[in-house]
Amino acid sequence: MPRQVLEDTLTADSIAADTALAASGDATAFERLYRTHVARVHTLVRRMLDADEADDVTQDVFIRAWQKLSTFRGESAFGTWLHRLAVNVVLARRKSVGVERGRFINDAEPLDDVSGKPITPELSLDFEEALARLPEGARQVFVLHDVEGYRHDEIARMLGVVPGTSKSQLHHARMALRRHLDR
Amino acid sequence: MNDMWMNRLSEYLDGELDNTERTALEAHLATCGECYATLGELRQVVAQAKQLEDTPPATDLWSGIATQIRRGSVVDRPVRRDRRRFSLTIPQLLAASIALVLLSSGGAYMALRPGTSKVTPQLTASRQRGIGTVATWTGPTDAAIADLQATLTENERRLDTTTVRIVRQNLAIIDRAIAEARIALQKDPGNAYLNLHLADTMRRKVELLRRVNDIAAQS
Repeated sequence: MPRQVLEDTLTADSIAADTALAASGDATAFERLYRTHVARVHTLVRRMLDADEADDVTQDVFIRAWQKLSTFRGESAFGTWLHRLAVNVVLARRKSVGVERGRFINDAEPLDDVSGKPITPELSLDFEEALARLPEGARQVFVLHDVEGYRHDEIARMLGVVPGTSKSQLHHARMALRRHLDR
Repeated sequence: MNDMWMNRLSEYLDGELDNTERTALEAHLATCGECYATLGELRQVVAQAKQLEDTPPATDLWSGIATQIRRGSVVDRPVRRDRRRFSLTIPQLLAASIALVLLSSGGAYMALRPGTSKVTPQLTASRQRGIGTVATWTGPTDAAIADLQATLTENERRLDTTTVRIVRQNLAIIDRAIAEARIALQKDPGNAYLNLHLADTMRRKVELLRRVNDIAAQS
């Protein structure tokens, strides 16, 4: 067995074992799962919401994961299940702070904030910073589609919009970000 | 610039245009330098998005999570109301005895670990809480363990004989526990406790083999 395959197998099996243990109430196993997945969850949350909310929401994701572990049936990898849970928590947060659908649909104009060509290298934003400054709707569609790999019909269902809106937001986001490519 | 086509470039890039639209847009690209250049930039954006890396939080969030799950463990974790009166079947008694053997043999394992590890062997009664959850833990772990054991055989000469003897004794105990758990599972395949116990025992074996190989590699 090639070393990398061996490592991947052991990692996957270790996560599966820890998931089973955590589901039965083993907090130590759950901490191992946390340490394996926290960077991915925190990064997703930070990109989808404002950075200053990322820590709180990440903690909320893991607390909910702990509470819902008994519903995890193992049909998908734990990481996939956790990731979907994180997306749901983020979207619930978005609703709870009053980011209503109207604002989501109509927030294309503020793209001008990041769409100008940088005049000097010092003024240029790096790609992550430019992404963070996109309007919320465009940013969330871009992260879900281009970073996380969701399809437009899935995004539309999650965000409560039509697929055409998701496509339009994605194009706006890409058009803004092309001016901040790391060259 | 043709705005109509400029606004369709992302859909073209994602393969979402029908044949007629794609052909028309490609014909336009052949004559419009601006759309052609923009398409190239959008391709770069998509490529750059795929290269973004995950970064951990600046501060460790675990302590806050641990506090919350400790505080909420009684009220928030789903508790099966319909669980039958707790009694141990023969396989469960067998598994419990294996657990005792494993715990009593933990000394060498602990002695081999440099410093404090987050992997704390604990077969406590708390795991009984989720006994209704059937572990679906499967995988080619045996092959992985065989590879690690082969590596250990090569590495053994780097370790002192006392360590090798203790490691072999502990591996034998773990192997016996795995074998007995599997026999018990053949009689009671859906037993959550046994599934969890087998998963945990195999994980301990993997961790022990890895740890010993690491120590041998460093010596």
